[in-house]
Amino acid sequence: MSGEWRIGVDIGGTFTDIVLLGPEGRLSVRKVSSSVDDYARAIVEGLAVALDEAGLTAADVVDIRHGATVASNAILERKGARVGLIGTAGFRDVLEIRTLRMPRLYDLAWEKPKPLVPRRLRVTVPERIDANGAVVTPLDMDAAAEAIDALVAKGVDAIAVALINAYANPAHEQALKALLAERAPGVAACISTDVLPEIREYERTSTTVVNCYVLPVVRAYLKSLQAGLSADKVDAPLSLMQSSGGLTPADAAARLPVHIIESGPAGGVVGAQALAEPLGESSIVSFDMGGTTAKAALVIDGRAERAEELQVGGEAIQASRLLTGQGYSVKTRAIDLAEVGAGGGSIVWIDAGGAMQIGPESAGASPGPVAYGMGGDRPTVTDANLILGYLNPAGLAGGDRPLDLEAARAVFQAKVADPLGLSLDDAAFGARRIAVANMMRAIRAVTVERGRDPRSAALFAFGGNGPLFGWDMAMALGMNRVIAPPAPGLFSAFGLIYAEVEHHYGRTLRRVLANADAREIEAAWAALETEALDQLKAEGFSGPTQSVQRTASLRYKGQTHELEVDWTGPIFADNLDALAEAFGEEHARVYGHRAGAAEPVELITLRVSGRGLGDRPPLARASDRSTGTHGVRQAYFGPKLGWLETPILSRKDLVDGRKGPFIVEEYDATCLAPPGVTGEINDATGAIILR
Amino acid sequence: MPPISDPVAFELFKNALIAIADEMALTITRTTYSGVLKDNMDFSTAFCDGEGRLIAQGLTLPGHLGSLPTALKSALDRFGDNIVDGDVLCLNDPYAGGMHLPDIFVFKPIFHEGQRMAFAATICHHTDVGGRVAGSNAADSTEIYQEGLRIPPTKLYSAGQPNETMFDLLRTNVRLPVQVEADLRAQLAACHIAERQFLEIVEDQGADQTIILMDELINYSERLARAAISKLPDGEWSFEDWIDDDGVDLGKPIRLFVTFRKSGDRIQADWTGSHPQVRGAINNTFSFTQAASYCAIRCVLDGDIPTNEGFFRAIDVVAPLGTIANMQLPGACAARGLTGFRMIDCALGALAMMAPDKVMAASDGGNTGISIGGWNADRKPFVYVDFTCGAWGARPWADGLEGNANIFSNMASQSVEITEAEHPVEILRYEFLADRAGAGLYRGGAPFAREYRITADAASLQVRADRANFRPYGLYGGGAGRHARNALNPGTSREQELAPKFTMDVKAGDVLLHELAGPGGWGDPLERAPADVLDDVVDELVSEAGARCDYGVVISGHTIDEAATKALRAKLQAKRGPAPTPFTRGDAVPALEDGA
Repeated sequence: MSGEWRIGVDIGGTFTDIVLLGPEGRLSVRKVSSSVDDYARAIVEGLAVALDEAGLTAADVVDIRHGATVASNAILERKGARVGLIGTAGFRDVLEIRTLRMPRLYDLAWEKPKPLVPRRLRVTVPERIDANGAVVTPLDMDAAAEAIDALVAKGVDAIAVALINAYANPAHEQALKALLAERAPGVAACISTDVLPEIREYERTSTTVVNCYVLPVVRAYLKSLQAGLSADKVDAPLSLMQSSGGLTPADAAARLPVHIIESGPAGGVVGAQALAEPLGESSIVSFDMGGTTAKAALVIDGRAERAEELQVGGEAIQASRLLTGQGYSVKTRAIDLAEVGAGGGSIVWIDAGGAMQIGPESAGASPGPVAYGMGGDRPTVTDANLILGYLNPAGLAGGDRPLDLEAARAVFQAKVADPLGLSLDDAAFGARRIAVANMMRAIRAVTVERGRDPRSAALFAFGGNGPLFGWDMAMALGMNRVIAPPAPGLFSAFGLIYAEVEHHYGRTLRRVLANADAREIEAAWAALETEALDQLKAEGFSGPTQSVQRTASLRYKGQTHELEVDWTGPIFADNLDALAEAFGEEHARVYGHRAGAAEPVELITLRVSGRGLGDRPPLARASDRSTGTHGVRQAYFGPKLGWLETPILSRKDLVDGRKGPFIVEEYDATCLAPPGVTGEINDATGAIILR
Repeated sequence: MPPISDPVAFELFKNALIAIADEMALTITRTTYSGVLKDNMDFSTAFCDGEGRLIAQGLTLPGHLGSLPTALKSALDRFGDNIVDGDVLCLNDPYAGGMHLPDIFVFKPIFHEGQRMAFAATICHHTDVGGRVAGSNAADSTEIYQEGLRIPPTKLYSAGQPNETMFDLLRTNVRLPVQVEADLRAQLAACHIAERQFLEIVEDQGADQTIILMDELINYSERLARAAISKLPDGEWSFEDWIDDDGVDLGKPIRLFVTFRKSGDRIQADWTGSHPQVRGAINNTFSFTQAASYCAIRCVLDGDIPTNEGFFRAIDVVAPLGTIANMQLPGACAARGLTGFRMIDCALGALAMMAPDKVMAASDGGNTGISIGGWNADRKPFVYVDFTCGAWGARPWADGLEGNANIFSNMASQSVEITEAEHPVEILRYEFLADRAGAGLYRGGAPFAREYRITADAASLQVRADRANFRPYGLYGGGAGRHARNALNPGTSREQELAPKFTMDVKAGDVLLHELAGPGGWGDPLERAPADVLDDVVDELVSEAGARCDYGVVISGHTIDEAATKALRAKLQAKRGPAPTPFTRGDAVPALEDGA
């Protein structure tokens, strides 16, 4: 087996997943334990094993795509750089005051995340620029030199600069950048207008600080990874998944690591989008359920819905999108993921009012569910699945880890069924239904917030527990199709292979459209385009493989939030009206109404995204390791249907379609088809389709 | 027999109903036009049963807790059984179920096969409802008639047909009709979503079972609330606190007085003894006093209790008519938000004696309201409104938060850059103040200062602040925080101290400085670890002088002088005696006046 092989690598806290896709869609997968002390090591070693197993050599690898958690881990574990921050006199605490909002109500025990730069390392300098970009107070260069020297003396690794109204005129930040290069050449430096030249000082400051905070860590990691790969003669280009779902070359990621914070979960969504397309499904809900959390994203007409801001490093678990402030604001384009603390490890418990609750507390990987026999003594969702006959007591992953059915039954009986007066079967079945309801709430939040109705979409289920809950989730959401891709448990790595290079640029230019100078807008947009095209060119894309898209964020004057409107072609005096009209239409679509023509429309930010269009990789054939066990098992399908004899199948058994109930057992996941459901495998993609 | 007939069906139903209230809230944030609603979350959504009992409330504004049933009851009293499918009811009159005029309530009855099964309910704070001041929120109105358009319980739609007279009246009486109509549409959209989803549940469960489940949900919350209340000790605790003045009768303090009576699984908040209603617009409706009481109690209860009728059943609120806690005509109330915040401080003071390990000291005394309005050169009006506060009192286990919304209102602060881009105002300063927070084993959060420079030729400046005369109290030995302060043109020859509440004319170049009061501390400051004091000194939240005076810690050049600290602490200890407890107020308590 040789030829052109593409590699996708996704790192989790416990496992590092490696997927190899070769000519004619040949697929090989490998799961190895993550090396927590140096994540790069597991990748390099795992890749060597994976290549070896597949009979390949380093020379067969043409491309490596990587979903890295190194940046988000650095924030979660507070292991980033010692950063100093220079701000405008009078505004020392922008970073810490934030927007004031908190994610919890009535909770006197709420603690804010500690600022990534403590107050002692936040200094200010006399200078001021007004909202129109005019200099009110010139930058005091002596004070600036003193501030820099003071921070260097305090041993900072990096210095961030974020000045009030710099978006309107970056001159003072540029002057500080030059001064930093001169006085502190050994210290990494970022000015806010290089990272995010957009209005709103807290978001810009925070984004710049986060970039600085992870910068040295990401650089060291990528250096170590590239050194390890070179030592193994793997010299294929390495690119990183960004939060937006687009790829960026490793050197660009090392410059602006703030874009790769949510690198990990993005791969799965991009893969779902890519695999759904040949199935004729342009709109899907991607549903990624693992051991502790479930994540969902919405793909409409082939495009994942994006958010413009992330909260990073806070509690990952958030049931409602109404409350914000749990983490650090990072304003970058990102796939809009709803995350809820529900997974196989979620604890099943009974509250003081006598109602059954699932999670958000999780037994995690250790001690894990009762059935793991590793000391867990509280019932979990995985225990419920085992009791119901959905999981194989011999365990997954080829029987590496047998499950203790009797222990699970005993604990579930004592802690859930008996107190509620339910039979064991109905208690376990009920726990699953409640877990589904919890997850559904999170998914509905992403869809409702955007005015989308998920019912016409297909549910794309992956992650270790995704296909086990896919059908129930679809039913709960009023959807009637479920797609379970090949290698569902490693799908985030798999999806990376289908991602495209993508870069985003933006600049605030605040103008009321009715009396704006179109030439100025055109010049600013064109400059962003040039930046995008230059970057793509540097990465080897040219002519037809380059694609740029202009976007404007606009609002009615007086509103506090903007809407994004795509724009094609140049803008000039005669079509400014058309841009205002496009905004009006979008306003009506999203908000259900629009203002009259006399209401002034205000431009806030111009954006350009640039995409590099590579060759589309072949679709995967069924995974080489997807041969499961065969036989039958008793499984419980609720009080009406009771226990049914359920065939255990492998994916290939579905070629001619099968009626449920059946269970597909694989190396990395289990797919459940209840009675009344028809399952088939799609040849082109290797996906199981339930309907 | 477990109290829930079918635990799985119950949990699914509960989840679905709370999801409806949350989806209503998301619909409003998605479809609203105005920033007040989006950024300040100054709205609420809820779901009531056919009799008007609250079943579920969305995760929105604590200040609206429990206000919906009062308003809905007023509408039901007005219309009785004359409510049909397709009707939409609205009101805003504080004397007929409302809270203050900007809050417009919208209710939609939901029918199934001719049976009224539920009401979808929303409240939104509208940007303007007319009256003498733009924004309809002036603190110095003295009668409700000055404050804007009063809407008694009215049908906005009758059997699906819009009440055009009502819409015309609204459009004619408000300054920003486009925004008000858009936000009303957002409220209607939320009600429609609730109706559709609720009817799906009814289809699924059947009408009878739905009614049983709604009942069980109320009982479930009541059980949780009573179980949580039972864990608190029995007894009676009273506390008083003072508002500086009402902005009309300057310098005349206003007393808030509350008594909590707790016995078994019941608790009462009694505001008897609070000041008679005042001339300024800071009087509460009874429902707003209830909201403040519920919010304070909620802060000391364990567990995740769904907000519904059952939660309120365990709590009794009393407030005599004609007081600031329960106003009568023609009392004005537009700026009563201030009283709500201060009631939270007052109620927490009483609860701190009941549950010393659960309650924080007084917060920074917000929220401060600042309005700057006038006319641009092109004769277009401008109105800049800022509500600000952001530091918590120290807690029995940790320092108070700084740069964080108040527990009563999860408001966001507006971006300085957006403010400067849109209003003839520059923000010159927005940062923490050192040495203002109450000292303690745990100190209060650092309050901040804001400076506003007027760039319009002329403007009217209105400030509604408090705690300039009465400092936020400390608990169990913690020090009181320091006073709030307003000044004009600080640091210049024209510097001038200003009252806590005032309206004045200003001109281009004038600068208003507002310093929030410092929140109270918790526990004996002489027991605070010197290393923690040093941390605050290094972060310049406490000065070296402050470390010596407030904490008895001697620091020089970022180094603790251990011996000198020991000696100083002993000396301060001897001079002071035992730490004052349970409260440190730092100001003399005024003598009671007639009627108070």
